[in-house]
Amino acid sequence: MDKLRILHMYPAMLDLYGDSGNVEILSYRCRMRGIETEVVKHDLGDKDTDFSGVDIVYLGGGADFEQQLLADDLLSLKDNIRKAYENGVYFLMICGGYQLMGQYYKDSNGKKIPGLGLFDYYTVASTNKRERCIGNIVVETTLGDKKYKVIGFENHGGQTTNVKTPFGKVLAGNGNEFASSVEGYTEKNVTATYLHGPLLSKNPRLADHIISYCMTRKTGQPYKPEQINDKLEAECRKVLLERLLKK
Amino acid sequence: MSLKNTLTIWFGKFMVKALHLLGRDAGNAPGLILWEMNKDCLKAFKVDCPIIAVTGTNGKTSVTNYLNHIFESTGKKIITNKQGNNLDTGITSLLLQNCDMKGRVKADYLVLEIDESHVPVIFSKMKLETLVLLNFFRDQLDRNGEVETLILKVKKFLETFEGNVVLNADDPNVSRLGLANPKNKNIFYFSVEKYAGATEKPYEVGEGKFCPRCGEELKYDYYQYSHVGKFRCPKCGFGDVKPYVTAKNVKLDVPSIEFEGEEYKISHNSIYYVYNLSAVYAAASLYNFDKKVLHETFEKFEVNNGRLEKFRVDGSSLLVNLAKNPVGANMTLRVMNEHKGEKELLFVLNDNLADGHDVSWIWDINFSVFNDVTRVVTSGTRAYDIAIRIKCSGYDPDKIVVRPELDDAMAEFFKNKGDKYAIANYTAIQPTRAAIKRYKAKVKEGRENG
Repeated sequence: MDKLRILHMYPAMLDLYGDSGNVEILSYRCRMRGIETEVVKHDLGDKDTDFSGVDIVYLGGGADFEQQLLADDLLSLKDNIRKAYENGVYFLMICGGYQLMGQYYKDSNGKKIPGLGLFDYYTVASTNKRERCIGNIVVETTLGDKKYKVIGFENHGGQTTNVKTPFGKVLAGNGNEFASSVEGYTEKNVTATYLHGPLLSKNPRLADHIISYCMTRKTGQPYKPEQINDKLEAECRKVLLERLLKK
Repeated sequence: MSLKNTLTIWFGKFMVKALHLLGRDAGNAPGLILWEMNKDCLKAFKVDCPIIAVTGTNGKTSVTNYLNHIFESTGKKIITNKQGNNLDTGITSLLLQNCDMKGRVKADYLVLEIDESHVPVIFSKMKLETLVLLNFFRDQLDRNGEVETLILKVKKFLETFEGNVVLNADDPNVSRLGLANPKNKNIFYFSVEKYAGATEKPYEVGEGKFCPRCGEELKYDYYQYSHVGKFRCPKCGFGDVKPYVTAKNVKLDVPSIEFEGEEYKISHNSIYYVYNLSAVYAAASLYNFDKKVLHETFEKFEVNNGRLEKFRVDGSSLLVNLAKNPVGANMTLRVMNEHKGEKELLFVLNDNLADGHDVSWIWDINFSVFNDVTRVVTSGTRAYDIAIRIKCSGYDPDKIVVRPELDDAMAEFFKNKGDKYAIANYTAIQPTRAAIKRYKAKVKEGRENG
């Protein structure tokens, strides 16, 4: 049986807004295709986390306080993480996880938290704590060669700029900055986004895209996931897109 | 009374009168307008009786209703906000409806449920005698912000407070507030002895993982539910408190509990409800009630109003419970799973303003245990979201029926007879109760005509 290994980073600290649901959804959709998943964790202070043997690295979102606490730990893993990224491991990052992989994050108190610097973007939070991008959001991204509308919920004070390859175009909501036209960051093995919901719950094709990428990389054979019962997801998307894209 | 205060009261009373003449319930509106005019409007009231306030994430309404019932059973005149309305403006409206033209509020006690974030603003302007603190859980993050922010707000208030503080010893987020004012000797903890369903590992998502005093990771002997349980900081000893009241011999199968050597029959079999009763017992003990009143209340009193409310519908028995956060939902699922035999579940999920627009909290609900649940019906503006959530926990999607409209959902839910459980979030609970009653009436009518 094929097996995918998911590295869930800081699950106890980066677990706001049900983000851990993404790991549950990936595991579920793999299981439905007969792919076994193993979820390994990296917690603050763990010294022997194996980055080379994993297929997916996952980071959820957290509050300013937690992001400060784990910044040093994350920096100490820089070389391992870069190596995994260069080897093609898939990186899925939400909100705080997205911010921490950039150049830096300046929080609402003006305190600068250094990022891992894996990517060029950087984030500055408004010093007015009430100024946040909050609400439902729809983003149009490209998966393979097909356009796909991604539905989620954003809640962030940070404004992210210098994004060379955004995850998608904003159809409703704010995105990387207030009233931005773009959202998130993407590469062939990277999805970084502000979308909670959790992200994969209402966007099964994005989840399958990640699974296909990982299986293809692992087996060397192009992988096409078989269709599973997604009637609930299809109805949910129909209802929400109608509601959120109504002008 | 200053001229400003006199005018505040007169104007407020005028608004309440005018609304009544229009045939409207005063509700929140007069308070809202008064706060707009005068930020110190609460100071215009003259309240001479003791005030007891109940706050915390879950259980405020229930505990307030219980205390109110106990006080009233002994013939006391109580003013209370039974239906919620627990913000500064709601309290102002309540007082306006119960004061004379001089702003005097006549009662033996005020028993109030207060939103956590509104405790400081209300009681910086009115003298509080007893504050009951139940628990702190994550709740509607997009509206309330993080739990820690809320705790710090209440802590700041307690730093200078010298009245009675009734605290849940088993919730580290609450227990820590006993340290807020070292000069205050009136700290009363309540606790619940380990019950049969307690676990060694946390079963549901929780908050207080680290010692609030020294930052060390807390060690738990056991978890009762969520992060509530027997904990201790291995480094500084935080958690070692001597409870004023402990519920012992928790028997959920009877159901009964024991306080100070006496057995009390209770009307619900949930550990979460036992914690609420312990808070009630501790607060009531401060006011020396006859134990007979407590026995009668614990055995018979029901809050209803969507709080562990029982219904008989067309040959089915139904338990309805409000859940506005993961812990609330987990508690109902626990009661459901502990019930032997097959059952069906209805989950009504809305995403209106008062619910918080973000529904991702449902992913923090633990659906991994689902004992003998034969079918799930979902409803509300986010009926599909909760259906997907339950599906991804491994439940057969073909056994999930989505009916966004409540009346359709009821027709579907009561199609089969049997044991049923319903969970509804904040703005969904009253419409759900109304839909159940409509369905009952329809069945009755059908029978009479048929």
